Amino acid sequence: MNCEKTQERFADYLTGDLEDEARREVQDHIAACAACRAEIEDLTAMWARLGVLPAEQPSGALRHRFYAMLEDHKNEARGARKASRRSRVFSGWREWFSFRRPAFAASFSIFLLLLGTGAGWLVNGGSGRSARLSSLQQEVQDMRQTMAISLLGQPSASERLQGVSYGASVKSPSAKTLTALVNTLNSDPNPNVRLAAVEALYLFRNQPGVRESLLGSLAAQDSPLVQVALIDLLVEIREQRAAEALKALIKNEKLNPDVKKLAEQGIKQLI
Amino acid sequence: MNGKNLEREKTGPMAPTDNELMEQVRDGKVEKLAILFERHQTMLFNFFLRLTGNRAASEDLVQEVFIRILKYRAGYQGDSRFVVWMFQIARNAHVDFLRKRKGELALDDQFVEAPSREPRPEERLEVDQEAALVRRALDRLPDKKKEILLLSRFQDLKLREIAELFDCQVGTVKVQVHRALKDLSRIYLELQEGKIP
Repeated sequence: MNCEKTQERFADYLTGDLEDEARREVQDHIAACAACRAEIEDLTAMWARLGVLPAEQPSGALRHRFYAMLEDHKNEARGARKASRRSRVFSGWREWFSFRRPAFAASFSIFLLLLGTGAGWLVNGGSGRSARLSSLQQEVQDMRQTMAISLLGQPSASERLQGVSYGASVKSPSAKTLTALVNTLNSDPNPNVRLAAVEALYLFRNQPGVRESLLGSLAAQDSPLVQVALIDLLVEIREQRAAEALKALIKNEKLNPDVKKLAEQGIKQLI
Repeated sequence: MNGKNLEREKTGPMAPTDNELMEQVRDGKVEKLAILFERHQTMLFNFFLRLTGNRAASEDLVQEVFIRILKYRAGYQGDSRFVVWMFQIARNAHVDFLRKRKGELALDDQFVEAPSREPRPEERLEVDQEAALVRRALDRLPDKKKEILLLSRFQDLKLREIAELFDCQVGTVKVQVHRALKDLSRIYLELQEGKIP
């Protein structure tokens, strides 16, 4: 095999894609040809040297952003389905009114009759209907909370993240749901899940006990990312008591300098 | 061997392959995208990090890739391995990123200065002088050569798949890998000997 054919195979040789026979042919050639040998040695050394570039880990914020995006997408899709149902119903009615006028006129009296009956029904039974609706809504809320609590206990972080997002989607969470979210914030092993819990609890900042739990959690956090999120939140909701907690925090010598700086700014904003 | 079998080999007999998951995403089970994200986010992040040298931009790009996967899911055919399709999207996202950055040169400095609030791991990296030198050498390679080299070296793609990605002959990819590596080796030595700053 000549030099040209050998060199054409160098890329395959390096990526390990050569069949045994072809590899042997390359090896035979470079054993005999000093120029090709020097070249492949040079290339192999550089190929190996690229291995010193370490594989790094993205920050937890990336995962958090991804799940938020996915959740948004699902919500939008649900909204779009509803809107398209509404517009189908609406266009049907318009056709009824504009193109089938004789039928429309003839049935107008029936419509009036129905209107009267409907009004009577509303007076008598309408409240029952809205009560049914609100009990249905309550059921959905309860179901979400049950799901949230059960998912928060799962070993997989992505399931717990989903649990947090279920919890956050509830209008008025039960004490049990709030406790589960606070426990997650304080002791979940994964900082991304804790970060999500901070945001969920921000939504419930006006529920009894939530502000206190957020304040108390500041000292328990070790991840700078979660500390930053908590400080931002406490400053944003203008929690006066946070100034003391922040002062205690910056006394910690192991505190990340960026977090310390943010905490100091926070104190100034709160006092 | 087709894409599906190749994937099955890697993920084991029980776990769904990337292609199967993406087909489910396409057919409406968008939550399955989370599994694909968990499988590939780190690999994709490192691809962008080696390409751009910027952590914050690399995270933005990974997010952008998954936004686009969701947006263009209906067009997913599943003819080749999912990662080949994903890297097609990744390359486009990178091209758009470079174009946008060109238009925002004034903002660029800010962008590089404040990548994240965590201690920057590239600072730790720079301690390792050889890695720093390799990175500087890579930065001097033209984008396309750098991309082809990184894809062949780190991303577990066959040269045939890279050819598919770049819409060219596999022979061309082989030549490009060879040349890119040769250029890189030359630049590396010049940097090491202080011939170029």
